[in-house]
Formats: sequence, structure tokens, C-alpha cells
Amino acid sequence: MRLRGVLRFHWARDVDEALSLLRAYEGKGAILAGGVDLARSARTDIEGLIDITGTGLSYVREDPKGLRIGATTTLSELLFHPLSREYAGGVIAETLRLVAYPALRNVATIGGATVSAHPWADIPTMLVALGAEARWRNEEKEEKASVEELYKTQFRGIFREAILLELVLPHWDGVFVFEKIGRNAGDIALLNVCAGLGLREGKIAWARVAVGARPERGERLPWLEEMLLGKEPDENLWKKAEEEVKERIKVGSDRRASGEWRREVAGVLVRRTLARAAGKAVK
Amino acid sequence: MAVILKAKREVVGQNVLKVDGLPLATGQPKFTLDMDLPGALVGKILYSPYAHAEIVSIDTSEAEKVPGVACILHYGNVPRVPYTTAGQGWPEPSPYDTVLFDKKVRYVGDRVAAVAAETEEAALEALRKIKVEYKVLPAVFTVEEALAPGAPIIHDEEDAEGIYDAKRNIAAAVDVPIGNIEKGFAESDVVVEATCELPYSQHAAMEPHCVIAYFDEDGRLVIRSSTQVPFHIRRVVSRVLGIPIHRIRVVKPRIGGGFGSKQEIILEPVAAALALRTGRPVKMALSREEVFVSTRTIHPAKVRVKLGAKKDGTLHAIELEAILNTGAYGAHGGTTLYNVGSKALPLYNKARNLRFHGKAVYTNLPVAGAYRGYGANQGFFGLEIAMDMLAEKLGMDPIELRLRNHIRTGETSPIFEKLGEGREGKPQVIRSCALEECLRIGAERIGWYEKRRNPRRKGPWAYGVGLACAMQGSGITGVDMAAATLIMNEDGSFRLLVGATDLGTGSDTVLAQIAAEVLGVPVEKISVYSSDTDFTPFDKGAYASSTTYVSGNAVLKAAEEVKRQILEVASEILEEPAEGLILAGGKVVSERTGREVSLSEVGHRAFYVANQRQIAATASFACPESPPPFAAFFAEVAVDTETGIVRVEKFVVVADCGQPIHPKLAEGQLEGAVVQGIGHALYEEMLFSERGSTVNSTFFDYRIPTVLDVPEIEAILVPSDEPTGPFGAKSIAEVGIDGPVPAISNAIYHAVGVRLTRAPFTPERILAALRTKDKERKG
Ligand SMILES: Cc1cc2nc3c(=O)[nH]c(=O)nc-3n(C[C@H](O)[C@H](O)[C@H](O)COP(=O)(O)OP(=O)(O)OC[C@H]3O[C@@H](n4cnc5c(N)ncnc54)[C@H](O)[C@@H]3O)c2cc1C
Repeated sequence: MRLRGVLRFHWARDVDEALSLLRAYEGKGAILAGGVDLARSARTDIEGLIDITGTGLSYVREDPKGLRIGATTTLSELLFHPLSREYAGGVIAETLRLVAYPALRNVATIGGATVSAHPWADIPTMLVALGAEARWRNEEKEEKASVEELYKTQFRGIFREAILLELVLPHWDGVFVFEKIGRNAGDIALLNVCAGLGLREGKIAWARVAVGARPERGERLPWLEEMLLGKEPDENLWKKAEEEVKERIKVGSDRRASGEWRREVAGVLVRRTLARAAGKAVK
Repeated sequence: MAVILKAKREVVGQNVLKVDGLPLATGQPKFTLDMDLPGALVGKILYSPYAHAEIVSIDTSEAEKVPGVACILHYGNVPRVPYTTAGQGWPEPSPYDTVLFDKKVRYVGDRVAAVAAETEEAALEALRKIKVEYKVLPAVFTVEEALAPGAPIIHDEEDAEGIYDAKRNIAAAVDVPIGNIEKGFAESDVVVEATCELPYSQHAAMEPHCVIAYFDEDGRLVIRSSTQVPFHIRRVVSRVLGIPIHRIRVVKPRIGGGFGSKQEIILEPVAAALALRTGRPVKMALSREEVFVSTRTIHPAKVRVKLGAKKDGTLHAIELEAILNTGAYGAHGGTTLYNVGSKALPLYNKARNLRFHGKAVYTNLPVAGAYRGYGANQGFFGLEIAMDMLAEKLGMDPIELRLRNHIRTGETSPIFEKLGEGREGKPQVIRSCALEECLRIGAERIGWYEKRRNPRRKGPWAYGVGLACAMQGSGITGVDMAAATLIMNEDGSFRLLVGATDLGTGSDTVLAQIAAEVLGVPVEKISVYSSDTDFTPFDKGAYASSTTYVSGNAVLKAAEEVKRQILEVASEILEEPAEGLILAGGKVVSERTGREVSLSEVGHRAFYVANQRQIAATASFACPESPPPFAAFFAEVAVDTETGIVRVEKFVVVADCGQPIHPKLAEGQLEGAVVQGIGHALYEEMLFSERGSTVNSTFFDYRIPTVLDVPEIEAILVPSDEPTGPFGAKSIAEVGIDGPVPAISNAIYHAVGVRLTRAPFTPERILAALRTKDKERKG
């Protein structure tokens, strides 16, 4: 059994209460959302669990800034929400459908996924590609940053004292797609790719490509995005993108796959996702 | 798929409701741990962190001070009795190379000490406080290392018995020549050779190993365990702890799966020893990680098959070499080794020149044991890939090649006599075989000829179809015995007491059907009780595909005797000879007069009225033959040539298990075995660190197929009629796992032209093979 040290469970009524409880534990409390990661945590020092799923952070809304997703929204709620189905060519559903399995998605939250940010996970790759913004609050103030920037910092430390409130996914005039390779259904990724394109007058107006589980966490490939700008989307371009990725991408080995395999297949997945995104964008 | 049965029967051949279906579906407490005993202690085990080490000293003084700790056992305070953890018939064919606690540890996960405490927390704290000083020894993690000259000797203890060659780390060995193999290859027109490798894998039964041991009011030891072998537990615990057999009772409640992992006596002697020392009940339950690390695995194997054939496809020589890694202890090592040859080789009995040789080798890795298939899957992996290569080289259709060579009704193979259960076997003639029909139907269902001729290609996806054949046995000839007791109640219902252990297979239902058919009553009139060494007669247990055939025959004999007794009472009532009476539909009817008497009337008369006696019988069946079930497996796969991903698109398995007693359950056995086989083919492999510890000991890391991975599976039964089987039945439990790995490998070959011989066939391995092939073509 994990989390052997837990003594108390708190049902926070709002974010303020959760934050003051968190401070009171002086590092020995943990925010509990879906709990699928916490349940596997080897930490024995946690004494108090602070459940935030009743603090009003479960929602999906749209406004001019983009799609706003409350941190405690479960992956299933998000997957089946009409707004997420329409967003950026349906990439949210495409990604979440490949995350774990239904029983887990029914409890796991988007906030938990953002904070845990496992290197092998799919959701961080998607959030980085989409340019998602994270908004959080500690006892003093509310802050925000792009998820991409956040992941370059010691973000886990931030969330020892803060609560992630929501994610804002900007509107895109174009389409994103997502692909992943796992060993079997419900497996974590051996490699994942999220790619998006916007077309103007038959040329690529913008491109965003993130590759994750390399085995490191999903990051964009700015050199590739630049290379694509202004080009006509066609098979040759995708082939060139594939070659470029195979040449330049940083990959590594772990016990699930070798760097060699990841290098080759990253190129393939980038070609496939770009071609598919372009195809969808034209329609 | 519907089954056409030879004779119209009332109960046998019908998909009756599973006798334990309702309580299972409604979550009734029926499993080992669903019993609370007041004052029970929790037992926990301390495992070795080293792959090979001597224990210099153990200091339990700090651990004993932990509040709630009742007892700590280790090599220093228990008797040393060599035994085998393999739950097999007596005398056990596996070496006695295990003791309860040893001064030496042989793998990461080996038992060092056991604690019983009031709570799990206290037990765990005590484990942390046991101070063990180890002298670490060099370890070997591959068969090659273990066999190399100068390798550390894993079993250097003097009191071990039955090890083939302990100094060379060989647990068991075999070399059986038939005819002249060298001459056979020399005379062959075509020769091919394949070497296939199956890695460490897990049974992954849903319910982890667990046990409760306590002393009853008469001071007898009761062991309630999730086991496949209650009677073997009783015998082995008696030996290890020196308690007479009559002072031990073993109860097997419902089991959440075993697949061979519970044909092993692992926790029971430990829990019993803790209960004995403390006088308190002791509960033990392993976590999934402990199951991975410290119970049993499949026998990893390297199997080399060389085939020689004449131009027309007739096999002339077969050499089969099997090198098994039996891990740190030799449980089931020799018998699994023998089975590689004894199950695979008779299938193609046209070859006159044979050689089967191999070894089961100790290493400092987890202990291999019994696993569904039991060597047959290892053997057919090599054999069926070699057959595919041979067909290609001969330019012959793989089905045609099998048809030309496979064993038929009325035929035999010298292998039956040469290879038995870790020793010589018994001659046997095949009395039923529908493999030809299985191949025909399977080919049709998968669209074999069309798909072989015109393989599909869609973008990067290449499609292919492949096949494999296999056979198994039904029980162990000359070893297995099962008994059944059938008792009539006065209302015309019956109690069927069997030592047979339904481990989720549905055998309680199958055995009830056999009794019901003979007695002319519906299954609901038979209450099945399995198994309890105090109340049910002996049965070898659930292994070797034996329950339907061996235990089923015992039930059949008992039922026939009870029927005879019923007719005797009825003849007293109806005042006419029993010969003219028919037992059917819950009553006895006179053929001559049409007069009838209900079973309830028969029961009441026997109990209370005249000539009073209990209508009951116990019958035994010892297994003089082991009729093999046969199966043909057809896989259609799609291979992504750019990533190496393989998808099984469709799987057809067609099997001859004689007359299926419960077709739906039999199909379920096939489907489950195919899914397990797909796991072996595509995902499953235990991985070890450089120090020999299991690194993927969770289902998060170690992937098994889930319902989302299961392709369209068509499981078809082609009935034959086995004259020695109960109502013509043979086994079905294991044969289904023998074919998926080679069938999928052969299908991949058909799709993309690369031979995968090292399971699992991961995207990485497939892509590497494709790139090697590209290079060869260019180079
Ligand atoms: C078996 C399994 C399979 C998985 N497969 C995939 C997959 O295929 N793809 C993929 O992308 N991911 C996968 N995941 C990861 C999964 O998406 C995340 O684990 C999950 O979303 C975490 O959410 P949760 O609500 O359960 O987090 P919790 O366990 O509740 O919390 C996780 C961590 O985040 C903190 N936390 C949670 N919410 C907040 C908040 N609002 N503010 C501050 N801190 C917070 C917690 O304190 C904790 O440290 C898998 C996980 C598991 C266990």
C-alpha cells in the first residue's frame, strides 16, 4: 500500500480553503484531484489529503481568449464535451481517447495530468503543441504562464504551494492532430506526436509540432516549424520533414524502446500527422 | 459457432448455466480471503535483494521488539527438509532442491524470513528491522553463463535430491534418439532449421496467491488456499512440517485463475509453519509485485528445430533441441522439458528419424514453473515456424504440408513410449483426430487460399495470414488419478463431491453435466462440492488438461454405479427386473408396462421404507491413455512497415476436443488461451536489471492484452468421438495456447517477409528485422 503516512482527508469547499490547508501542512499535505497518480506515489511523508474536486474547478467554457478548462475537469468530461469536439479539428478527443482506458479517464483530471506531467504522457505533448496557458494561484497571488514555459521551470515546486485553476487553449485557425504508439491499448506512449497547421492561400501560414515520450517530455521542434512556413503542403514537404526529424530530433533509450527506433519512428509520425492535419485543414 | 454433436443428449453438449455462475456474478464471498478468522495474524515474507548470496547471519532482535510481532521464522529456527514446490503426483518428478528457509539465496525474490504479526504494518516494520548479513556470490543470468565452465554452482547444498547434474547447473536433461537422425537428414531432399526463443512471462491470474492457515478445535491444521492442487499441498506440507497427513485438511474455495502458477506449493508451508509456531490463524496474501518476483513464471526457452523432408513433403527427420531456463529452483523443470518433445513431436509422425534432446538449466533468475501449455507451446513455437519454412522451400502450401504429415486416427508415434512425465512414457494409439477437418474449416473461415495468393497492401500496412497446428494431452498417462463421490438425497437430487479443482475453468459445471446426463436429471439437481481433502475424494488437481477427461471419467463411473443402485430400488418398487427399466427425466420408467416411479420415491424408499441404505458411490479413474486434442490456428495480421506495429486483425482457432461437454465453456477456454498467446506473441516479457531483479513487476509496465486488444476471434469446435473419454470428450484447456505465437510469426512472414523468432514481436524488433532485410536486398 502506498501513501502510508496519510492521517487526514479534507474536502475543500473552495480554492482559498484548499490553499490555507495546504500551507498549514507545511509540505506534508497534497492536493488530491482524481488521485490516480497520488495513489501510486511512493511518498510516505504526506499526512493530509486535500480534495479539490468540489471547489468549482470542473468546467469547459469558451470565450474570446479560447477554450477554458477547469483543472478538476475529468478526462472523460473533457473528451465528451461538445466544445472540445469542435476545437482545433477535434484534437482533444483524438488525444484523450488514447489516454489510458475509460475507467481511469473517468477519475483522472486534466489538472492532475498537467501537474504530474509524466515524460511519457500524451497530454503534456498536446498542451505544449496547442500553446496552452496555465493559470494558478498561491496564497499571495494568481499567476499564469504558457505550459511550454512552465515545463522549463521547476514547476513541481510551484504546485507544492499553489493550485492550478485552469488551462486556456487559444483559438487556432487551423487543425491539430495527434498520434501515439503504445505497446497495447491503454499503454503509455513509446512515442507521441501532436502537430497542427494553418493554411492561407494554399501555403502553410503556421505550424506547430511537438514530440513526446522520447522518452523525455513533449517539446516542440521549432526548427521544423520554421522550415514548414510558407511552403506548399504536399507529399514532398512531408517527406522532407520526416528526413529532417530523423536527422535532428533528440531521442533516448529506455527499457521500452531504443533511441534508434524512436528516431526513425518520430520521423514517420511527424510526416503522418502533418499530412493528416493538412488534409483536414483543406476540408 | 454451433457444434454438431454425434448423439442427442439431454445435458451433455448443452450450454447449461454455470453451476457457480450466479454467486460469482452477484459477488458472493467465495474466495480464499473472503473469510475472517478472529485473531488472525498477518504473514509477510522477507525477500532476498541479491541474486546469489550466502546468509552469514540473521539478527531478528530489533524486529521482535516491534509491537504486535508474534513470530519470525528463518533458516536458523525451522527444520531443514528438502522438497519441491511443484504440486505433482508422488513420487514427484521434480528435484528436491528447496527448503523452507535456506542459508543461501539464489535469486532476487528468494525467501529469507517470514514474520507473523497482529497487523500488516507491524509485519512490514519487522521485515525492515531484520538484519541480514549477506556474502554476495557471483550470479548467472543466462543459460549460456550457467553452463559455462567455472560458472558458480547454484545448488551446491548436499541434501538436494534428484538434480541431474548440480555441478554444471543442469536440473534435468534428456536425449532420445529414434532411428538415425544423421542419416535421416542426409537422405532428405530439403532441410530447414529454426531457432526460436520465448522469454520470461507471467501467468497474470487475476487473484494473487493467498492462503489462510489455522488449527481447528481438534488441533488439526486447516489450510484454505487459492490452489490448483489441494491434495498435493496436504502431502507436501506433511513432509515439510512433519505433521501426519490425517492431521491436515486443505480447503480449496473458488479460485481467481491459476494457469499453472497455483500448481505450486509456495505460501502454504510458510503460513502453516507460522500458525504452528504461534498457535494462531495466519493470513497471507501476495501483492502483484510479489507474485511477479517471488512466485513462478513460464519456462523461458530456446528451441531449435531441424526438419528434413522428401520432395513430396513427407517429413523424414526431425531434430528438436530445447534449452529451458528453470530459474533458481527446478520445480517442473524436467517435466516441462520432456513435454516440449512429447507433445510436439508426435503431431508429425511420418518422420522415421527423430532426436529430441535438451536441458533445463538453473540460473539466478525467478523460478519457472508450470504454465498453461507446459512445454508444448515452446515446442510448437519452433516446430511450426520450421514447418512454415519447409513449406516455402518445397513450394508447397503450408496446409498441404501439414495434411501430408500429421498423425491420424489408428496411428501412433514412438514418442509416446519414449517420453513420459520426466521419464519413459506408455505406447498409445490415436483413437480420435479431426485435425484435417479443423484445417479445412479454419482455412475457409480465414479466407486462406485467396489471402495467401493475393496479400493485401494498404499504404504502409502489409497484410498476411499464417497458420500453426498443435496437439496436447488429456491428463498424464500412468500417473494421474481422480476420484468422485456421488450421493443421492431422498428428494431425488444428488451431491457430487470431487477433489477436482475448478480454478475458473467451469469444471464443476462440466462434471455436474456428466453426472446429470447419466442420472437423467437436470444439472440443477446436482450440487457440486469441490474441493476439501476432508470431504472430497482424492484428485490429482487441475493441471495437464486433465479434469474433463480424468475427473470426468471418475464422475461417469460413479454416476453409472449410482444409476445401477437406483434401478435396483426401482425394481423393488415396480416389481420387475432392473434390465427393463429406463432412468430418464427424473424418474424410472418400465419399458414393458409404462409404469413409473419418481426419483424422490426411490430416495424415500431407500432412506426410510424398506431395505434401507444410502444410494451412493465412489469411483476412481486412473489415466491409462492421454488422448490428445488437436487444433489449427489461423492468424491474419497487419504490419505497419514504417513503425513495426503488428495488429492481429482476425484469429481463427478450430479445435477437436472430442465431444464438447459444454461447448460455450470449451470455446471460452480456446478464446482465453488465444488471447494469452497473443500476449506472448506481441507484448509480454519480464525484464531484469543487471543485478537480476525484475524491473517491470506491475501491469503498468508489463503489458497483458486487455479486452481492447482482443481481435475478432472465431473459436470453432469440430467434434470427434474419443472412445475412452466421458461421452467422447477430450481436453481443451491448454491446446489453445500452443498456436498463436507461431501462427502470428508465420503471418508476419507472409505479410512482410521477415521471420520473427524471438518473442514478443515488438515494433522495435519488427522494424529492425525489416531494416536488416532492406540492407540485405540492397547489399
Ligand atoms: C495507469 C495509468 C495510465 C496512464 N496513461 C496515460 C496515457 O496514456 N496518456 C497520458 O497522457 N497520461 C496517462 N496517465 C497519466 C494521467 O493522465 C494522469 O496520471 C492523471 O491525469 C492525473 O490526474 P489526477 O487527477 O488523477 O491526479 P492526482 O493523482 O489527483 O494528482 C497528481 C498530482 O498533481 C497534483 N495536483 C492535482 N491537481 C492539482 C491542481 N489542480 N493543482 C495543483 N496540484 C494538483 C497532486 O497533488 C499530485 O501531486 C496514466 C496514468 C495512469 C495511472
